[in-house]
Amino acid sequence: MTSSMFWLAVVMVVIWAGIFAYCLGLGRRLRRLEEDR
Amino acid sequence: MTWLLGVWLAGVIVAGLLWAPAAAGFQGDSFRIVFFHVPQAWVAVLAFCVNLVASIRYLRTRSALDDSRAGAAARLGLLFALLATITGSIFAKLEWGMFWNWDPRETSILVLLLVYAAYFALRQAVADEERRASLAAAYAVFAFVTMPFLVFVVPRVYASLHPDLVEAAEGVVRFRMDPRLRLVLLASLAGFTGLFVWLYSLEVRLARVLAARRREES
Repeated sequence: MTSSMFWLAVVMVVIWAGIFAYCLGLGRRLRRLEEDR
Repeated sequence: MTWLLGVWLAGVIVAGLLWAPAAAGFQGDSFRIVFFHVPQAWVAVLAFCVNLVASIRYLRTRSALDDSRAGAAARLGLLFALLATITGSIFAKLEWGMFWNWDPRETSILVLLLVYAAYFALRQAVADEERRASLAAAYAVFAFVTMPFLVFVVPRVYASLHPDLVEAAEGVVRFRMDPRLRLVLLASLAGFTGLFVWLYSLEVRLARVLAARRREES
């Protein structure tokens, strides 16, 4: 694995994980608010 | 839905890094960032289009829901434009040795980020909800006018280091890519579009619930 390949993999996984953590957090917050109502 | 998109985009990462063949004319594997960079830029453009439509609808209907839609679309547009800028600067570092070169493409995306950052500064600056929504909607229409110039025209008018994926010859537009690279890119475009639809619907639902809660409290 080349150095650039390693850094690309790190960047892609960090962005992927960040977006999905945001998505799951948003969904969880929404469910909690809807249940409260 | 979230898990399906998660698995789909994880598949895109694996295919982009391990299955797609090397592209000629690039340093090492820097070109592989295209599988994330281009879909992020596409989703940003899509989100700004949705922001425009929702803003025009707000100006016609004065519905708070349309204002929520416009705000959610602009937020996602700014997020994905920022991600496209970050991945683009990583490509620049791997390819040209510097994260930022003030290339026309880099400069125009920075101006676009500032234009839409000002949209949120405007929203934060006005306390009255109806006035804020009206001003933001009017601003969004003007902000959108700059988008096609900054994304599609400026980088093609001035000489740019930025590689172009498509070529137009004799009226026919073609992808300049290996079929396997193209397949991974299209899969990524589909995944990111699905992600935008999912995030947008969550953001709009959240804005509606928060607005209803504010109404109940006041």
